[in-house]
Amino acid sequence: MSSKVSHLFSWSKVLFEDSFEKVGIFADSYLRQKASRLHEETGVSFESKEKSLKIFYHLLGGDKAKELHITDKRFIETSRTLLEKFSGKGKSFFLAWQDEKALYFPATLSYFDDKELNDMHYYWLCAMLSQVNLQSSNIMTENARAAAFLIKKYPGFQDFYKQAKNLLLQNYPELSYIDSSQSEVLLDDKSYPNPLWIYPCISTNAKLLDFNDEEEMGREDGKKDKTEELKMKKKANQIDDEKETDGLLLFLPESLMSFMEQVNVDRQENDSFDEDALYNAADLDEITLGKKDANLSSRVKMDLDISSREVEDYPLGDGFLRDEWDYKKGIYLKKYVRIYPQVAINVEPIPLPKRLNAMMRRIQSELDLMELDRIKIDNLPYGDEINFDAWIEYRGHQNRSNHPQRFFQSFEKKTRDISTLLLADISLSTEAGVTQDIRVIDMIKDSLMVFSESLHRLEDSFGIYAFSSIKNKKVNFHIVKNFKEKYGELARGRIEVLKPGYYTRLGAAVRESGKILQKQQSQNRLLLILSDGKPNDTDRYDGRYGIEDTKKAIDEVRQMGITPFCITIDVEAREYLPYLFGRNSYAVIRDAKKLPKVLTEIYMNLTK
Amino acid sequence: MSSYYLPQANEVELFEAAAGMNLPVLIKGPTGCGKTRFIETMGEKLDREVYTVVCHDDLSAADLVGRHLIDENGTYWQDGPLTKAVRNGGICYLDEIIEARKDTTVVLHSLADYRRVLPIDRTGELIEAHPDFMLVVSYNPGYQNVLKGMKPSTKQRFISLSFTYPKPEIEKEVILKESGVDEPTAQKLVNIAGEIRQLSDSDIQEAVSTRLLIYAAKLMVKGFDPYEACMHSIVESLSDEEDVLEVLRKLISLHFSKAE
Ligand SMILES: Nc1ncnc2c1ncn2[C@@H]1O[C@H](COP(=O)(O)OP(=O)(O)O)[C@@H](O)[C@H]1O
Ligand SMILES: [Mg+2]
Repeated sequence: MSSKVSHLFSWSKVLFEDSFEKVGIFADSYLRQKASRLHEETGVSFESKEKSLKIFYHLLGGDKAKELHITDKRFIETSRTLLEKFSGKGKSFFLAWQDEKALYFPATLSYFDDKELNDMHYYWLCAMLSQVNLQSSNIMTENARAAAFLIKKYPGFQDFYKQAKNLLLQNYPELSYIDSSQSEVLLDDKSYPNPLWIYPCISTNAKLLDFNDEEEMGREDGKKDKTEELKMKKKANQIDDEKETDGLLLFLPESLMSFMEQVNVDRQENDSFDEDALYNAADLDEITLGKKDANLSSRVKMDLDISSREVEDYPLGDGFLRDEWDYKKGIYLKKYVRIYPQVAINVEPIPLPKRLNAMMRRIQSELDLMELDRIKIDNLPYGDEINFDAWIEYRGHQNRSNHPQRFFQSFEKKTRDISTLLLADISLSTEAGVTQDIRVIDMIKDSLMVFSESLHRLEDSFGIYAFSSIKNKKVNFHIVKNFKEKYGELARGRIEVLKPGYYTRLGAAVRESGKILQKQQSQNRLLLILSDGKPNDTDRYDGRYGIEDTKKAIDEVRQMGITPFCITIDVEAREYLPYLFGRNSYAVIRDAKKLPKVLTEIYMNLTK
Repeated sequence: MSSYYLPQANEVELFEAAAGMNLPVLIKGPTGCGKTRFIETMGEKLDREVYTVVCHDDLSAADLVGRHLIDENGTYWQDGPLTKAVRNGGICYLDEIIEARKDTTVVLHSLADYRRVLPIDRTGELIEAHPDFMLVVSYNPGYQNVLKGMKPSTKQRFISLSFTYPKPEIEKEVILKESGVDEPTAQKLVNIAGEIRQLSDSDIQEAVSTRLLIYAAKLMVKGFDPYEACMHSIVESLSDEEDVLEVLRKLISLHFSKAE
């Protein structure tokens, strides 16, 4: 035991103690003082390489669920206590490491006076990360083994390693130990960590050394997301509880409630305020959401003197009661779930956000290809060209007087006979982060924007709805754009104001969507579901119950001749989606950032 | 000249058995994995002519069955490839059947089941299939499509063979035979393919095929620098996205150091 500890101990020293300069604990000041030996001019940033490194990691067989992150302050923060244990001062290096969830790279690499080498350094670390065994206790032999493997397999890495090592040794004589053939080299205070190596994950290190802070360290590092999740759950529960007592009021400020009554009166006096459609909400898809929406918002302000211009979800009536499938009893619970259709008002019409322009341009070239599709229409009494086939057949026909004599054909742009309803899950789980500053909901919104833009350009018929739920009492069904409304700035505005909240009673939302799609005249009807996880709610709608009800709902819409297809970013979805949708009717997108592009591509693939 | 085909598994035996039982065959598999080569080889082996039709949107029933043509003596009937195979015996191979419209492929139904007959509406004929007639269709399951797709009832009439890219040893052997490149290079190409095939749909649209690897090897045999050869045969054809291209270029340069 003691020998193992001392071995690790010396390595931890290398990890956290820098005996050359006494610098503060902050990354930038450390970098600044180190500048003498680094080459900022030729440095390469992680940011510029992130995408490529991720693909590269996949190429080398790396786990596709792993994320790539910068090892920066976070690393320093989590290590501070450890650090103080050793030296009482905070210093750190930017080293590549990994844990079960992610790979961590330095934010920049600038050891070399040559951009190409610094660039290659990232690829090298990435390849090493794909090779090094997380569990290995002896990082020296493990790194040596991984490096030898890479050098042997890839001549390109052999060249790099030779060159990089020589340059490093010139600049950092303290690194001389890396050439040592002994696996147990004695490291002293002058030792410097090898920038070409992968270092152990800090929390496992702490565990092995049995520190008092073990608990805290672990939480700060690996379990961070769990705590977040917990917090989110709590928040949702609170709201849920309040809701129990307050009823609708939680969602609609009192002022709006009274507005609803007022409008009723108002309407009789003034017919120009024509909101019949809104009140006749049973026909969700028939509601006209065009300019009236804007009208309505100004009206709200005028009539009720609401000073805030805040976006509100405006309920379209009291909702409807729908059935739900109880798999245990094997029966439908009649009129068990209440669906609340609603639409956001006070929404500001917006143009397509600039951040999506580049992506739209790329997709446009694919759209162009689809629009080129022309179809031949044959056997016409008149048309663009003579169909010689038909003519010759007529000539060869025994009984010419009986012949229909339709000799012409035309080429027409194919009318794509399809209606698509996109149903987006905006439950609270979509609040989760994809990266530090992008949330799942942001990606969902971008996806909706790009999707709408594309279908609009294809002139395909589509509607967009979003949902979340609070038990069977309230399934919020947000109309973003119905089939009748023309897509435009207002629909985009409604996408932009979507907010995550509550739970995922998927079955109910699927049934409602099916009802809407069923009314569309098209030959082909597609229900695209965008989700981030299993169906769930806080009542029994969880686990098997939720899955079974959703499956039933999917089967129901299939019966209507609708094609359901699910796109999810839940990497565990393979456990339940095949059951819900069948093997060929779903797609799992591991990288949520790809969602906007992939969603539209999937649509094009499904319908080309 | 007999064509070369190295079996991936027991597909040769299965195909022979299907031919013996007068059953149609359906081959699934990504493009460039050897489907066409397999059927050509089986045609030679069974001594049956292969009539290949590559399906597309505009393919009409007349393109399969035949049509009236005109000459100085008036009109006459010309058999299409399907009718020829049905009349005289032979393998009718419909490549990428999914691309064809449903109203085109309905003519196959009565040929695929126990009836083995082909009705020709335009001439009023009902042709009973020659004992050596065999229907073979292929498609790429990677493309999902709501608007098209095969009816399950049709699919169930076929003996199915599922092709994938060959296993590394087999693929290496195929590259060696088809291109004449040296063994270490063939091995490298197989390694590169193995790595690229790790990528999922969200990284890349289609994986590298055996066909592309053979192209790369052939370019090298013609004297092109290995890096260049891979660029033009493998990398550029797989993606147009700069991030993906950069990584693929990097990967190739790691395997074949770039010529200065
Ligand atoms: N098992 C194999 N044996 C021999 N050649 C093969 C084999 N698999 C692939 N090939 C080679 O790959 C090329 C592409 O195969 P092909 O049959 O055209 O593919 P597909 O029809 O599946 O698109 C062939 O020309 C042949 O050179
Ligand atoms: Mg959810």
